[in-house]
Amino acid sequence: MQIRQKRLTRSAGGDFVIFFVLFLGAAFSALPLVFAISNAFKPLNELFLFPPQFFVRNPTFDNFRDLFVLMGESWVPISRYLFNTVFITVAGTGGHVLMASMAAYVLAKHRFPGRDVFFAMVVLSLMFAYQVTAIPNYLTMSALGWLDTYAAIIVPAWSSSLGLFLMKQFMEQINDSLIEAARIDGASEFHIFWRVVMPNVKPAWLTLIILSFQSLWNETGGRFIYSEELKTLPYALNQIIQGGVARAGVGAAVGVIMMIVPIAVFVLNQSKVVQTMGAAGINK
Amino acid sequence: MGRPRFRLTRTRRQALTGILFTLPFAVGFVLFFLYPFLQSIRFSMSQLQIVAGGYRLEPVGLANYRTALLVHPEFLQVFVEAVFRTLVDVPLIVVFAFFAANLLNQPFKGRTLARVVFFLPVIMGAGIILQMESADYMMTQLRSAANEGGLLSGAVLRNFLYELRIPEATLDYVTSAVDRIPEIIRASGVQILVFLAGLQSIPGSLYEAADVEGFTSWERFWLITLPMLSPLILTNAVYTIIDSFTVGTNPLVKLVRSTAFGGGGFGLSSAMGVLYFLSIAVILLIAGSIISRFVFYDN
Repeated sequence: MQIRQKRLTRSAGGDFVIFFVLFLGAAFSALPLVFAISNAFKPLNELFLFPPQFFVRNPTFDNFRDLFVLMGESWVPISRYLFNTVFITVAGTGGHVLMASMAAYVLAKHRFPGRDVFFAMVVLSLMFAYQVTAIPNYLTMSALGWLDTYAAIIVPAWSSSLGLFLMKQFMEQINDSLIEAARIDGASEFHIFWRVVMPNVKPAWLTLIILSFQSLWNETGGRFIYSEELKTLPYALNQIIQGGVARAGVGAAVGVIMMIVPIAVFVLNQSKVVQTMGAAGINK
Repeated sequence: MGRPRFRLTRTRRQALTGILFTLPFAVGFVLFFLYPFLQSIRFSMSQLQIVAGGYRLEPVGLANYRTALLVHPEFLQVFVEAVFRTLVDVPLIVVFAFFAANLLNQPFKGRTLARVVFFLPVIMGAGIILQMESADYMMTQLRSAANEGGLLSGAVLRNFLYELRIPEATLDYVTSAVDRIPEIIRASGVQILVFLAGLQSIPGSLYEAADVEGFTSWERFWLITLPMLSPLILTNAVYTIIDSFTVGTNPLVKLVRSTAFGGGGFGLSSAMGVLYFLSIAVILLIAGSIISRFVFYDN
């Protein structure tokens, strides 16, 4: 005999309402992107059409072609700007994730003198808008002799407080018994950190990678870097679109190019997160 | 055992590990965050003068603070508005992000795409892209249309709720919230991501156990998901408060910057910054102590 049980599940109607609300929210977020992409393919006459049209009518690659022509004319080869941005982004993100996680691990799971004071200072420093510390920061860089070097961008990115804060909150969730077990098995502290703690907070550091990448990818380096050959891609592209009204189409193309990379990183990154979930189920 | 080696006690070893692990982070932190921060407190009590070969500080005590609070025509008003706005926005953003993350964690077709869409505002809000947008006529129109609340007008809702005899204060909160829906969605990209990471960190074994016990979805949400995510509610509340206070478009941040490099001088600007900082600290302290009462830790 089959037992029929009425299960309490969400109704289809309820699902519809929830996803409808989510869809409206999504529309708000996606609209500017759709418009930016559509703009990038508009010929010049459509860009200046009044009243403006949302969608492109006669799509063209002219804007991208013009952009590459302009890039080719630049005094420092564009590949150099690209290299600078990629270098800063990778070195900054990698170092930040590693250092913030290491510090977060001991702050969450160890007891040592000055721990609470240090963490309190990190939280306090989160509250300070960089505008306020702009001048002292510049003076520090100058005293260190780091002006006009990659270090001026990369080293501060390593110590950005947000990452430490985030990682600590996640690591506190890890069960102490897991760490104790590894310690009894004779694992060194670094081994525990790298092999036990980090795999357990994979979603957290994947998120941190996105956040750090996003901010460094858009770094113009304007305050600290003067040499043309050390400047970044956003800076170079900014110069190109500053050319005035005639560069409107190129500007739209630039926007699309600058957005594609973070979006690709995001998608790649989030597909990794799903795998973590599967792995966690097997391990436990 | 026979090794003539200097042995540390357990506490000492823990302390050493702690310091060694924190050191790489701490060096940069002290140089680029702590030291500039202390410097700006010093600046706030001084008059900065540019002289040949550098600058000179003349201590002026609390004069800059007095100017900011009592003399400056805009500071106090902008300050109060910025604080008030944050107090309204933070609960809305955290709650929205929480539910959005829960939905985006469900398995459905096109989930990654949906996540990208909610993270887009963060990507599009970045420096260069924002600059291009502001240069674009239609983009500006689009943004202002979104901000006017073309979707649901707060005023219509207000009339409706008024009929229901809802208290005036609640009414004002709800209607102002409705008017800000687009802004709230735009400000919650990072928070959604953090909650998502949190949802994925909940051990699958908990849900399996719950299934064995015959939990309903409702019970799973309230007894597993919510308690396990509660530390991140605190994290996100802190992040949201800080984000809304320090984002470049915040009117007070703009004022601080224009004072520093415009007319008012760096001392006054630093004083404003420090005052603002103190008020955020107080708000964070209050919010933190309220929320941490409900936070559950799995240890």
